[in-house]
Amino acid sequence: MASDALILGFDTSAAHCAAALLCGDRIIASRAEDMPRGQAERLMPLLQEMLAEAGAEWRDLTAIGVGVGPGNFTGIRISVSAARGLALGLSVPAVGVSTLEAQARPGILPAVAAPRDHVYIAPPNGDPALLPVAEAQTLAGNLGLTLDATSDPRQLAEAIARIAGQRWQTTTEPPAPLYIRPADAAPSRDMPPVLLD
Amino acid sequence: MQRSEKMARTLTVLGLESSCDDTAAAVVRQTDNTLPDILSSIVYGQTELHSAYGGVVPELAARAHAEKLDHCVREALREANVELSDLDAVAVTAGPGLIGGVMSGVMCAKGISAASGVPLVGVNHLAGHALTPRLTDGTPFPYLMLLVSGGHCQFLIVRGHGAYTRLGGTIDDAPGEAFDKTARVLGLPQPGGPSVEAEAKTGDSERFRFPRPLLDRPGCDLSFSGLKTALLRLRDQLVNEQGGLTRADRADLCAGFQQAVADVLSEKTHRALQIYLAGEPDTPTVAVAGGVAANTKIRSALESLCDEMSVTFTAPPLSLCTDNAAMIAYAGLERFKAGEYDGLDLTPRPRWPLDQSAPAMLGSGKKGAKA
Repeated sequence: MASDALILGFDTSAAHCAAALLCGDRIIASRAEDMPRGQAERLMPLLQEMLAEAGAEWRDLTAIGVGVGPGNFTGIRISVSAARGLALGLSVPAVGVSTLEAQARPGILPAVAAPRDHVYIAPPNGDPALLPVAEAQTLAGNLGLTLDATSDPRQLAEAIARIAGQRWQTTTEPPAPLYIRPADAAPSRDMPPVLLD
Repeated sequence: MQRSEKMARTLTVLGLESSCDDTAAAVVRQTDNTLPDILSSIVYGQTELHSAYGGVVPELAARAHAEKLDHCVREALREANVELSDLDAVAVTAGPGLIGGVMSGVMCAKGISAASGVPLVGVNHLAGHALTPRLTDGTPFPYLMLLVSGGHCQFLIVRGHGAYTRLGGTIDDAPGEAFDKTARVLGLPQPGGPSVEAEAKTGDSERFRFPRPLLDRPGCDLSFSGLKTALLRLRDQLVNEQGGLTRADRADLCAGFQQAVADVLSEKTHRALQIYLAGEPDTPTVAVAGGVAANTKIRSALESLCDEMSVTFTAPPLSLCTDNAAMIAYAGLERFKAGEYDGLDLTPRPRWPLDQSAPAMLGSGKKGAKA
């Protein structure tokens, strides 16, 4: 029992704070709270409460799993930054897990809702992309799959913990946000004056 | 513990800073009330990242902070030769600033604090600047602080690590912003402070007439947006007449602009000094902080003012004027020494005025005062 790996998974990539604790191959605790804002305040206390409920302490953790998106940019950074801080403080690995991968089920093409009627998807054998919903539906249909943008935060956190449980021994890269969409930034329009000499 | 044992108390604090475009971590140590030691101070700048955009792009800054902070912390600990278990506190900028970066810093610090059991101390970025003279020179309270940077400009009487009286500040732009804009419209590299100063060296500050905003009004408030407009108008006039600028034009514009900023800051500092001196401080001191305090012209104008008034002038070295984490670690150390720290529910704040009793100068409404 003592040799079972203890993995903490969490996610704030959408309007929720969700977490799960995996011991060996069993989920021994999980939490999910709907939260349009305030995740930066709530996340760490929520993790602490869940650990306490499971009778565990921070230093008992073997590894961290964290949802890296795609999703809300700020939400992703909240979890990724916390995971990196925890990994540093505990000297344990942190594993970044794509929310699209964590939502995978047979027969569906997982999607994450994006603003302006778009979705993030990760087609099999393709790079993750941001597409209009209609286009993504066609693409899913062509693959014989159903586009599914629904996700249960608690299940998401549990899946993140399970995937991290499979990877923590081989992961070498720290978790990095999966934004897919580049930052909005327009080059400066100020034209420098002509120099005459 | 018995007082007679006189055990020296040494505090070691890690600081994290990510409120604008510098990712920084540092370790500061102080024994009792001796001058603190900066054991390490690491700054990863982002100038390159933002250079094409003519200013800091918040989302780009936030993305960079989130993936660099922990590396920066590791480097700071390594350079200081300090383990997490040697720390008494983890201090982090909790505002004011670009919220994406502030959030990354706060969450990283919370992770470190939770994992290591080391207490978390949220620090106001402006307090970091305002307390820097105590970090570098052990300056006693109360002193007059002129905080001049790319995002801020205010006069504060610093009475304690959490006690500030704001005497005045900018009603629009910060001078650092005006330097950046000047560089941009004249085709000089960013950041504008050093490039405008270098250009101004060979310029004639008398050739163009720049306004001296708000000098005709009483008080210590300042304004810099009119200077930007004046500069733009002068430039356009020259371009219309000549089809472009000569190098001499550019140098003269820079010199004229810089002189106007120096004059305004010097006169307003004079006024702030009179208010400060009326309180009869034991060791009258004027301190500057913020990136603009690195400008030689401005510095020497303030220095000679202080000379005339027989007041001590102190300015930290450039690396501690601009954003850094040593000042955050030190401000956190002062808070922690006073028994103050925060829980894991610490709130990152985009706006957070130092003097909460003074009326808001910029911004209001549901987000609260900006300064």
